[in-house]
Amino acid sequence: MRFQTFALLSIAALLALSGCSNKKNKQYAGVDGDYVSGTPLGERTEGANFMGTNVQRGQYASVQFGYDSSSVAPDQESKVAAVADALKGSGKTVIVAGFTDERGTQEYNRSLGEKRALAVREALIAKGMKANNVQTVSFGSEMPVDPASNDAAWAKNRRAEFGIVK
Amino acid sequence: MFPLRRILTLLAACLLGASLQAADAPTITVRKSDALNIAFTGIGGSEGALASKVVQNDLTLAGWFALVQSGMASFTVSGTFAGGVLQGKVVKGSEIVLSKNYTGSPRMASHQFVDDIVQTLTGHKGIATSTIAFVGNRSGRKEIYLADYDGSNGRQLTHDNGLSVSPALSPNGHRLAYTGYQAGYADIYLIDLATGARLRLVKFPGTNSGARFSPDGNLLACSVSKDGNPELYLVSLSGGARRLTHTRGAESSPAWSPNAAELIYSCDETGAPQLYKISSTGGSGRLVPTGFGYCTEPSWSPDGQRLAFNVRSGGGFSVAVMDLNGGGARIVAQGENPVWGADSRHVVYSTGSTISLLDVPTGKSIPVISGLGKVTEPTWTR
Repeated sequence: MRFQTFALLSIAALLALSGCSNKKNKQYAGVDGDYVSGTPLGERTEGANFMGTNVQRGQYASVQFGYDSSSVAPDQESKVAAVADALKGSGKTVIVAGFTDERGTQEYNRSLGEKRALAVREALIAKGMKANNVQTVSFGSEMPVDPASNDAAWAKNRRAEFGIVK
Repeated sequence: MFPLRRILTLLAACLLGASLQAADAPTITVRKSDALNIAFTGIGGSEGALASKVVQNDLTLAGWFALVQSGMASFTVSGTFAGGVLQGKVVKGSEIVLSKNYTGSPRMASHQFVDDIVQTLTGHKGIATSTIAFVGNRSGRKEIYLADYDGSNGRQLTHDNGLSVSPALSPNGHRLAYTGYQAGYADIYLIDLATGARLRLVKFPGTNSGARFSPDGNLLACSVSKDGNPELYLVSLSGGARRLTHTRGAESSPAWSPNAAELIYSCDETGAPQLYKISSTGGSGRLVPTGFGYCTEPSWSPDGQRLAFNVRSGGGFSVAVMDLNGGGARIVAQGENPVWGADSRHVVYSTGSTISLLDVPTGKSIPVISGLGKVTEPTWTR
């Protein structure tokens, strides 16, 4: 019981501290300031909805992924390059949406989809896009391209789509 | 071990039956894991019919009891319901073990009576008054639904007409957090269930999802990707967020220990997702070995003893339960997303077309929710 109180107090103290550091850093770095795992996301374009009318989808080919994988395969790089080449310097914002096949549990699929979107985002940044112009969202296994339950459908559904904010 | 105990129990029951005409029935020591023999003689009174049905069902689902004829019972449960008051009574021979009045609807009064029976006779918290929430897609969209633990009182909570998933009920059932996409991104919303007030609480850039309430209900553990990778964060309901993990993997679905000191979560840093344990004050996660290659969405039992989680086996998913004090994980059901109830005995889980209630010690499973389309991601008050 005493330990629980201590633990909660510690969490409360740390939260108070992190509240301050968030205000200082608009880039939402980790509280320790480490960039160990990726390029921090910039402020969202509020109101831009990947599934809405203010985002143009389907203009660029989706990046496909291997089973349980979130790395951008060499044969997918040209798709990323096409987007980066068209948008870098334009000031336009692209939303990368990550999707999975149905063979995973729901919440794990959401994190895997986000990891795919973030991997494509890193590739876009590496090809010259500004970090602040690339947003991400994960839909997990929702909205499959092909609702069938077979290898061909699953391969199509493991993807990251590009949506250009109008 | 278990079959032997079964046989002994049966043997004991036969002996008891055979000696009913004797003056002194043999004393049988009831072990915690054995069902208590109780007789339910019904709820009388002008409004007793529904209460009778509910009490009977709750006593059956509780798992702790074997409902038997009066002559064989250690305890007898009875009551009357009239004028909006349930007078509940439990006796052991001539000794009154529990006698209490309950007001409210016949259904809720009956649930409260049974939770008191469970507490009095077993020392465990009951599940009869508990609420579950889950995702259903009957409307064509995924929305959050609520229901009593037995499937009654089902109702649609969200009408977002978008994508509403990953619900989490606060332990006391006053609040519900969920992942909603209505603003275009995955954000965590908080609903006050008494007032219906809704707050868009976690809306960092990227995907915010998988919220789970701390045992005291004041913090949410969740996945946040604003740093460029999905990581676990602790978010206070009054504002302020602190990053908990620092890995290259994707963290998801944190489960709090009952004393709030630790969390167990899923991470795919080494390939397929595995379970890890981390202190709620920080540090690094340590692998929780399970013997399974794919483990996600853990739930920590309120008594702190066991973990339930998803494993992938063959083409589908199974529910596994593991003793945290040692001993391997075993598969207890086909389905996914197990969540422990207040009694640390039952889990609810999704089979896809149903939300089912599983009594882990006996392996008995019954569907409590069906007919709402695909039903997934249950959460349960404690």
